[in-house]
Amino acid sequence: MGKKKLKVGFVGCPPEDILAPYREHRLIDLDNHYPAVRRESQQKLPATTCAIVKRIYDNALAFKPDILIFDQGYGKCDPARMVSLLLKEELGMPVIGTDNTSMAGKGTPVSDSSLPLRKKVEIILDDLVKPRRRTVHPEKAPKAGIWGVPASDFSLYDLFPDGTKIYGWLRCLENRTPADLDLECMVDPEIPVVFFSQAFCHKNILAKHLAKKYNGLYFDLEENISGTIRAKVEAFLRFRGVV
Amino acid sequence: MALLADFGTTWTKLIDTETGKTSIERSSVIDIHADLATGNNARTRSQASVNELIALYEGGLTSIKEKDFIIVDIGSRDLKYIKVVGERVEQMDWSTSCGTLTGFTLELLAGYFNIDYNTLEPSNRVDPITCGLLGIERLFERLANGTSIGEAVAAFTRSIALNAYHFIGRPEKFYLSGGMCENRLFISSFSDNVEVIPLGRFVLLDGVIKEYERRLKKK
Repeated sequence: MGKKKLKVGFVGCPPEDILAPYREHRLIDLDNHYPAVRRESQQKLPATTCAIVKRIYDNALAFKPDILIFDQGYGKCDPARMVSLLLKEELGMPVIGTDNTSMAGKGTPVSDSSLPLRKKVEIILDDLVKPRRRTVHPEKAPKAGIWGVPASDFSLYDLFPDGTKIYGWLRCLENRTPADLDLECMVDPEIPVVFFSQAFCHKNILAKHLAKKYNGLYFDLEENISGTIRAKVEAFLRFRGVV
Repeated sequence: MALLADFGTTWTKLIDTETGKTSIERSSVIDIHADLATGNNARTRSQASVNELIALYEGGLTSIKEKDFIIVDIGSRDLKYIKVVGERVEQMDWSTSCGTLTGFTLELLAGYFNIDYNTLEPSNRVDPITCGLLGIERLFERLANGTSIGEAVAAFTRSIALNAYHFIGRPEKFYLSGGMCENRLFISSFSDNVEVIPLGRFVLLDGVIKEYERRLKKK
């Protein structure tokens, strides 16, 4: 008789040696957006909580994983760490806390590839759950870059040309070094870059600073991109000769 | 003959290219469909639309003879600016947070208190506010503590001006576009060492005209 598959929720980028034993079970990335999940977090969490952290809470309640693997160190964030405490105390979920400080990078071929930007982000996130061997082609002359964490609204990515280079925490995620601040801050100065951060996230400090340093465009976003943000990004890409 | 428009949140600026006649109408009551437009409602109210920042840039080039300049458009609910160096855009931004931090709020306060901004003196208070809602809360706190309406509103106006000034990078000189050009209190709320040159309310529409002419030439 087959072994029962556990529902294993994970947050952030836990070390592979912790995730590996659970790869034959059902792994659920609790950072991701699942449209059918009900929102309960507004009653529990302050309004000024980042939408991704709220999402982690809502997803955990909806999926009720048997085990929660929570990366809690510099590779994730303190608000997420607080929520892991809530989930452990209030819902009795067993939480395996991890602290992924690995600097052994696996490389960033997808971030640097010629693929459409939306496809790149989907691959990076899917590979966390189900790693696959892929052949991708490098983009030799990227016209634009985007810096940040995975956006809650993927239509943002459709504004950019194919081969747009990925920077920031999403790059660190592909590299499997989520706490690598040097890599997170790495930007090619000659490429026009859009620096985006989730509203209420501490990464706004970095996004705003780097946008000023590299003459990029900075904005923050809570959930869905507005017509204004869309127009701002389009204008930036047009003024910088990208489109 | 074409009808071109800048569909602002509160006010729509129009031009009939055949007669050259321009007009300003309230956006909430106007019922027209333009041939080419910019602005908040452009996508639903016109055949084709022009990005507002691009309209601001093109309109700025029409009105301003200098090769290097900063132009700021302050509308009902947002603030856009472009820094041009050598006629090319070097920096740009568009505030997308808290619509109460702009013209809409000042118009609301004028109606609520029945005041004319052109009769008020600027405040000496330097009171940065992070959010228009918090600013209004502070305004009513001041009134409750005995501050006059004129001084409280002037202080709030200066806070908005200060925020705009920081947002655009604290330049020594900039060109102003939009409804705030007609608000003497707002313009005089900037420090004496900052030169503010109002261009009026048709800059974005000028940008639409330029874009319209460009598209005609392409056909």
